[in-house]
Amino acid sequence: MPGTSLRAYLITRLALVIPMVLILLTMVFLLMRVAPGDPISASLGGHVPPSVVNQIKHQLGFDKPLSVQYVDYLWGIVRGDFGTTITDHRPLSNIILVNGAATLELTFFAMLVAIVVGVVVGLVAGRFRDTPLDVGGRLFGIVIYATPVFFLGLMAQLVFGVWLDWLPTSDRASPITQATLQTHTNLFIVDSIIDGNWTALQDCIRHLILPAVTLGLATAGIFIRLIRINVIRTLRDDYIEAARARGIKEKDVVYHHAFKNALVPVITVVGLNMALLLGGAVLTETTFNWPGLGHALVTYLENRDYTAVQGIIVVFALVVVAISLLVDFINAYVDPRIRY
Amino acid sequence: MNWKWSSRRVALVTAVLAGLIGVAVLAGASLASSSSHRSTAASSSIIVDGTTDSVVNIDPANQYDYGSFTVDLPIFQGLYGFPNGAKLQPVLATGCKSSPNLKTWTCALRRNVKFWDGNPMTSADVKYSFDRVQKIKGDQGIYTLLSNLKSTSVSGPYTVVFHLASPQSTWPFILSTNAGYVVEKAKYPFNKILSNTDQQYGTGPYKLQKYTPGQQAVFVPNTNYWGPKPKNGGIIVNYYSKSSTMKLALEKGEIDMAFRDFTPTELASLSKEKGIVVHSGNGVVIRYLVFNVKRAPFNNLAVRKALAYLMPRQDIASRVYHGSVKPLYSMVPAGLPGHTDAYKSFYGAAPSVAKAKAVLAKAGVKTPLAITLWYTPSHYGDVSADEYAEMQRAFNASGLFKVTLKSAEWAQYSSTLGKTYDAFQLGWFPDYPDAEDYTVSFYQPAAFYNNGYADPTMNKLIAAERGAKTTAIRLRVLGQMQALAAKQIPTIPYWQGNMIAVSKSDIQGVNSTLDAAFYMRFWKLSKS
Amino acid sequence: MATTAPAGGIRASRRKLATAGRALKPVTQARGIPRAMLWAGAGITLFFVFLAVFAPLISPYGFATYQANGKRFPQLAHPSSEHLMGTTVQSTDVLSRVIWGAQTELKVVVIALAMSLVVGVPLGLLSGYFGGALDRVLVLIMDALFAFPYLLIAIVIAFLLTNAFGGGVLTAAIAITVAYVPLYFRVVRNHVVAVREESYVDAARALGARPWTVIRKYVFFNVVQNVPPIATLNAADAILLLAALGFLGYGIQPSQGAEWGYDINRAVSDASSGIWWTGLFPGIAIVLLVTGLTLLGEGLNETINPVLRRRQFGEIEFGPLDSDSETT
Repeated sequence: MPGTSLRAYLITRLALVIPMVLILLTMVFLLMRVAPGDPISASLGGHVPPSVVNQIKHQLGFDKPLSVQYVDYLWGIVRGDFGTTITDHRPLSNIILVNGAATLELTFFAMLVAIVVGVVVGLVAGRFRDTPLDVGGRLFGIVIYATPVFFLGLMAQLVFGVWLDWLPTSDRASPITQATLQTHTNLFIVDSIIDGNWTALQDCIRHLILPAVTLGLATAGIFIRLIRINVIRTLRDDYIEAARARGIKEKDVVYHHAFKNALVPVITVVGLNMALLLGGAVLTETTFNWPGLGHALVTYLENRDYTAVQGIIVVFALVVVAISLLVDFINAYVDPRIRY
Repeated sequence: MNWKWSSRRVALVTAVLAGLIGVAVLAGASLASSSSHRSTAASSSIIVDGTTDSVVNIDPANQYDYGSFTVDLPIFQGLYGFPNGAKLQPVLATGCKSSPNLKTWTCALRRNVKFWDGNPMTSADVKYSFDRVQKIKGDQGIYTLLSNLKSTSVSGPYTVVFHLASPQSTWPFILSTNAGYVVEKAKYPFNKILSNTDQQYGTGPYKLQKYTPGQQAVFVPNTNYWGPKPKNGGIIVNYYSKSSTMKLALEKGEIDMAFRDFTPTELASLSKEKGIVVHSGNGVVIRYLVFNVKRAPFNNLAVRKALAYLMPRQDIASRVYHGSVKPLYSMVPAGLPGHTDAYKSFYGAAPSVAKAKAVLAKAGVKTPLAITLWYTPSHYGDVSADEYAEMQRAFNASGLFKVTLKSAEWAQYSSTLGKTYDAFQLGWFPDYPDAEDYTVSFYQPAAFYNNGYADPTMNKLIAAERGAKTTAIRLRVLGQMQALAAKQIPTIPYWQGNMIAVSKSDIQGVNSTLDAAFYMRFWKLSKS
Repeated sequence: MATTAPAGGIRASRRKLATAGRALKPVTQARGIPRAMLWAGAGITLFFVFLAVFAPLISPYGFATYQANGKRFPQLAHPSSEHLMGTTVQSTDVLSRVIWGAQTELKVVVIALAMSLVVGVPLGLLSGYFGGALDRVLVLIMDALFAFPYLLIAIVIAFLLTNAFGGGVLTAAIAITVAYVPLYFRVVRNHVVAVREESYVDAARALGARPWTVIRKYVFFNVVQNVPPIATLNAADAILLLAALGFLGYGIQPSQGAEWGYDINRAVSDASSGIWWTGLFPGIAIVLLVTGLTLLGEGLNETINPVLRRRQFGEIEFGPLDSDSETT
């Protein structure tokens, strides 16, 4: 629909987010309640009589009707209170700040790796279509995509951690660094820069390399495929043909016109792969003992900590939703044809 | 086409991307300058320990798991404890005396004990700590250990009196559990627990300086400690979710030692490595198979007997665990006073197919009998799968049984105990290292695992054990309980684990803490 | 590709034959790299299908066999002439577990794909064709599901179903299905929205064809052509998801069958102790099979759908929420 303003588009798009988030919250809530097992049995089941277990469940309100629990839960969220975890009585805000920072650090650098690898290999493969370079690039993309991230991580640990002995294989920093580092933002790299603590910075970066590269490579496979296709497509587009017809050198056509426009959809791809990246983060964090949200999620899930799982999944989903919104906005901004 | 118009926008977005890439390049550059820097765990005498345990609550009023227990051990103390080996000794008390009917216990407190902040500890703190546990009734259930405690009173600043509901000769053992840890009255709210990131106040040899959930606990020596100073300059406990990453961290020198828990394969590999020592001592963790004695086919004693005859303890210990566990023939682990090899005397040390066959034939059970065994890999480790595969093979090989194995992850498993599982794996870890904790817990009516077992003779023995006037009488009753259980087979115990810690060879004193108390006494460790 | 015959003019059977013929022609005509990819992918995939189907004949032992001729296999033995890929901690033969694992993976993936197609495609057709409130609600729900990291959905579903079905093939398949339904829904729905406006569909409607007839005869055949490449690529993805579930311990339980992800999970502790063979071979199997399926899928994509060449698969799968504006 021509004439729709950017602002109207943004508002419609934003309005859709509310019911979506509501659906998400409801799904998480229901899934957790119908899943067999409960947090109290999980922590007490092995050593305390069932009567005590039931008594504690009652005390905590787990025997209330689901509808009541559901309303309580939604009301809490409306007030901005995600609650405290059932097992270790930790405020959700603390998990999001501390573990979230770890995940942010990991995914940010993984995304950088994915973009750099994806863009370089994708551009080269697309530019030199059907040459050995293309075939090599595509095969590389397919094989890294085909390698499970935990398998890749394990190999990386064994090769670079054990065999070559270049890099540490777990955690965000060595224990001593972690014990002494002042945390301002919980982003260890930022924290050590703030304090001018260069030894700590080195230590943190060394710890970051293997997990970030593993997760980044696992994501790069998809980027390579899509960027290559986009380059090929753009090289055939009318305006490129027009540029060629005007006698502009092929080199300039490729570098100035084709590549630039081929990269625009990358934003979309980056955004829409956020869910994939976060899923991969769960596995990467488990493999490298990286204390992020995914790591915490697996632990809390095992203990059926409803509050924690609900909170973390909702945060994950909100991030995905927010990024896809952002992507849509950027797309609408860059390419006005999208607004309709 | 408005590409020309929007190319400026494209440029903007590209610039942002370029900026991000720039950050990465910078990071890479700063790395290049640090090429061959090796991180070793400690410059000073600080010892870094790794563990796969996790912490639930640090506040002693609401914790009932080993990971939390290990964090509390260096910072809190009870009136009794196991400071030097598996023998119960007074710690914050100088001694306790019982009334003749074993219902009132009067304890004299040690003088000149201070919390790490310098405030003195008195009987008010002790009474407050016990009252608080009973008041909070935390969701971890530790208060159930004090269910026999009617009230606590003080008489003067250095005497505390415990009034029990029924006679209990083992009360000082209860005082050694973390339900009896003494906290500073002024610092802890009466009706709610402190959060894990709050400062904790105890009388132990260390102060917990920093705790990052799921990542790290940092302990520094308590300068106001009443006892001998720790032999190291501090402890850092690093938490791992997988033992394989912990193993790599130990080999790479990021941590100095690891206490709990490696897989048998990893232990076998570590014990061959240079510069690494696997320390092993008497342990009290056990594994056993529980039967629901009310439901078919295990309501038939002959079936349970046949399985007791067939249990491949030796194969499990050597093939699955490579010797890091020992065959166990009673619910009470060897090494604790009162232990008898009851199942060995009834069913022999080694499996006997002939005897199992005879029992089933005599009872008219049609063989092969189809049975289902349940286990849980998420609580007792992936190695449980191997353990139960070994059992399945042995039972099937006898030709008497046809075993189906099933597994469920812990949250589901624990909520289903005794409800739908007829025969299932469980483990036990003592509240206090005494045979009582390994008998009463399992054989009392309505025991936690819900297996339907209840026996009047056993109930009489339990009452007799609790009220026993002398240790000799108590141990004799405990022996009778084990024999009766072996005859009735509500469970089949099959192994007892060693207490194992792995360290770099420069860590001293590890062996001195590996005993039946199952305590990691960090203050005894030093680094050379 | 688009049939422009008037409504009811040609019998469905003839249409089907014609469609099949046309669909196969590009495969035989494919040249160059797409052809190489197609054949390499098909070769690898067929190899694993062969392993899976004939596992009982090919595999030297069962996946849980620990002894032969009364002699127990060694534990964690190096690859040797008796055990080409060595043995595991349970004394089982790694080669046999890899072969039987192929059977498990393919079973799960086939069931999961069938289920997600059966659920996702009709929903997408209806939603896209009729539009309106139904469409909006479905799109909203599917987008919400899509925002979930799908590994997490799969884990939670796996929890839910282990009680009902045990930790077996069906549970894993359903868990994977739930994770993929939104994808098919979205692809089909967006395509239908595009096709709906095509002139031949309009014509059919104008001639008074009922919605069901229009969907069945015109829209379905058009849209369904997109499905084989997507399904193949999805099969690849599903194997990775199943392996991830197994790796976290929530997939197929060891007592129910051999599964590569679980085997790698168990092998992690071996690998750090210098025992490489228990993890490497299942890992290679996953990489190979997923690579094969991906090659096959991309090859199919480039040969069967010459018209799609300029749009390509990727954009269909990952295009923006409103990609229908671009696909037309």
